[in-house]
Amino acid sequence: MATEAVAPTDPLEPDTSRRRAGSGRWKVTGGLLATPMVWVVVFFVVPVIMVGLYSVGAITLLRNDHYMSLEGWRFFISSDTYLSLFWKSARMSLGVSISAVLLAYPVAYLIALVSGKRKYTLLLVIIVPFLTSYLLRVLAWRIILGEGGIANTFLQTIGVIDEPLKWLFNSQFAIYLVLSYVWVPFVALPIFVSLETMDHHLLEASSDLGASRMRTFWSVTLPLSLPGVAAAFIFVFIPTLGEYITPQLVGGPGGFMFGSAIQSAFTAGLDWQFGSAMAMFLIFAVAILLAVFGRFLNVKSVRE
Amino acid sequence: MGQFDSVMNNPQSRRAFLRSMAVMGGMGVLAACRKDVSTSGSGASSAASAIPGIEAEDGILKVHEWAGYEAKWLWRDYAKAGYPDPKFSFLTNTEGAIAKTAGGYYWDMTHPEVGYIQDYLDLDAIQPWDTSLIPNFADLNPVLEKSGQLNGEQYEIVLDWGYSGVIIRGDHVDPSINSYSYLFDDDLAGHISWFDTPWIIAMAHVTLGLQSDPLDASAEDLQTAKEYCIEKTKNLQSIWVDFTQLWDDIRQGNIWAAYSWPDSYVVLKEEVPVQYIRPKEGCFAWGEGLVLRSDTANYHHAHAFADAWASAEVGQRLISSWGYGHSNLNVDLSQIDPDVVAVFGLDDPETNLSAPLSIMDRYQPQRAAYNRAWDEVKAAAG
Repeated sequence: MATEAVAPTDPLEPDTSRRRAGSGRWKVTGGLLATPMVWVVVFFVVPVIMVGLYSVGAITLLRNDHYMSLEGWRFFISSDTYLSLFWKSARMSLGVSISAVLLAYPVAYLIALVSGKRKYTLLLVIIVPFLTSYLLRVLAWRIILGEGGIANTFLQTIGVIDEPLKWLFNSQFAIYLVLSYVWVPFVALPIFVSLETMDHHLLEASSDLGASRMRTFWSVTLPLSLPGVAAAFIFVFIPTLGEYITPQLVGGPGGFMFGSAIQSAFTAGLDWQFGSAMAMFLIFAVAILLAVFGRFLNVKSVRE
Repeated sequence: MGQFDSVMNNPQSRRAFLRSMAVMGGMGVLAACRKDVSTSGSGASSAASAIPGIEAEDGILKVHEWAGYEAKWLWRDYAKAGYPDPKFSFLTNTEGAIAKTAGGYYWDMTHPEVGYIQDYLDLDAIQPWDTSLIPNFADLNPVLEKSGQLNGEQYEIVLDWGYSGVIIRGDHVDPSINSYSYLFDDDLAGHISWFDTPWIIAMAHVTLGLQSDPLDASAEDLQTAKEYCIEKTKNLQSIWVDFTQLWDDIRQGNIWAAYSWPDSYVVLKEEVPVQYIRPKEGCFAWGEGLVLRSDTANYHHAHAFADAWASAEVGQRLISSWGYGHSNLNVDLSQIDPDVVAVFGLDDPETNLSAPLSIMDRYQPQRAAYNRAWDEVKAAAG
């Protein structure tokens, strides 16, 4: 059987076939990435850069604004008020994130590991609140928690209290409760995915080796679901840091947060330079937190 | 994802990727920064150049208005004259409208408070009105119209006005005190509501009897008023942003004294024993009206629209419907609830809107300082 002679390759000649293949792959990758890249640049990178330029007066809104000035940054750093507000918002974010995760984990566990064939029906039930307006869901709590609301009326009717509980609404309690309620469905989903994609044979193996269900949960299920829990925690913590609408609606006089101060600077004070400085500080803080989370919690394993 | 990883793991590819992102980001920033803040043509140049007659205008007015102000009865005569219906867009607050204008948003007319006329002028966005083209202008309150002037020119036709006073539950609070001190009274602790506005600091200023201008305070007076507000946040039940929630709280007896506009009194007076207080220190008052775009292509239509708004019939219905005042002095007060006339002093608006009975809104050069001080007050309320 005749075979075609294969020309011997010269080891001193560069391997152009592999380079051509790599170049082609880069072009395909670049082409596919073009649309999301443009999207990220136009709707994230450019606005962030512009906010940064506003914060130092490189761009100004009104004629009387300070051009090329760090006045906004100086005032922000020297004022106790705004840094205190940031820490207040951070504490709120931490509390909401922890409570949302604690509330969502049993829900996700039930759906992923217990519900069997009804899994996706229950998942749909979790998602249904998203079909209603966010504002309506928050304002509904006014009817539940208000002084003449459902909760107080019920407690008074059964004789537990004589006067309405004022702290149920227009309070820090209301902010924590409503934000946790809003975020639980979001948090349940990544935890559900983490539990769903876990190797369930490990649970069987644990049981076969004599471990109780509680022991299996603490030693096998929970550690394997931690990447999902971490992702869920970050998923809530970061956006809640800048939250201001829900605190304004249900928080009463104590509902003024760091996000509220940013909103106030832009929309009430026409103080774009100062508002931009605060916004940039929030962006830097979030970036640092993400770096810490990523390093500490091994984001690569979350991605995998 | 695998191919993306291969790009990011390859230093050469990664550098090329990041370089292209940076180039695109820079191009985007440059493109976004290139904006004309000032519109073409100042008021003077528009007036100086020959203004085409009304026949040459397309007549489609773009009016940037408060929600509800698009109602046809407010520009009834303009509609009756057969002009095309204006196209309305809506603002939620004047600061936002100014920011949009600075970003290039176009309108022929908008409806700011008199305290913001200077901001629009600084953007070269407005031109003076020719009041000779507005027949109803002669019937408008000169005190209000003076507040719409800058540099001797009529930049705003001031049409509607109101008070920022105090509403009280007469069954819990003594109306004879007649002061902004209601908003800071320790005896009313837990039953006070402030509106979310730095004007609360100005109200503290007059309550304390401080000497400088309450809307342009000295640094010491601003600090004193701010600290007083911070001290009194302990008495608050709420800082309202939604007036319907305020109304509910007053109805339910949760609030006994609150910062309030006149409409709250008009709505609530038939339901609960409320009284509207125009404090003895002088009641803060505001006026708002129409400003004219410096490069409008509908100069004559805009004047006709403003004239329709300025009619006495519109004023009568505005007062009856919303409890706000109207600038026209020929409104037939016999058609309006006598109680509303008496409470708001509609029988002599020129006197009642002048010092010492009122403290009229005006441009605040220290707006940012007041807003920051107000932020500190709200932060302390937590």
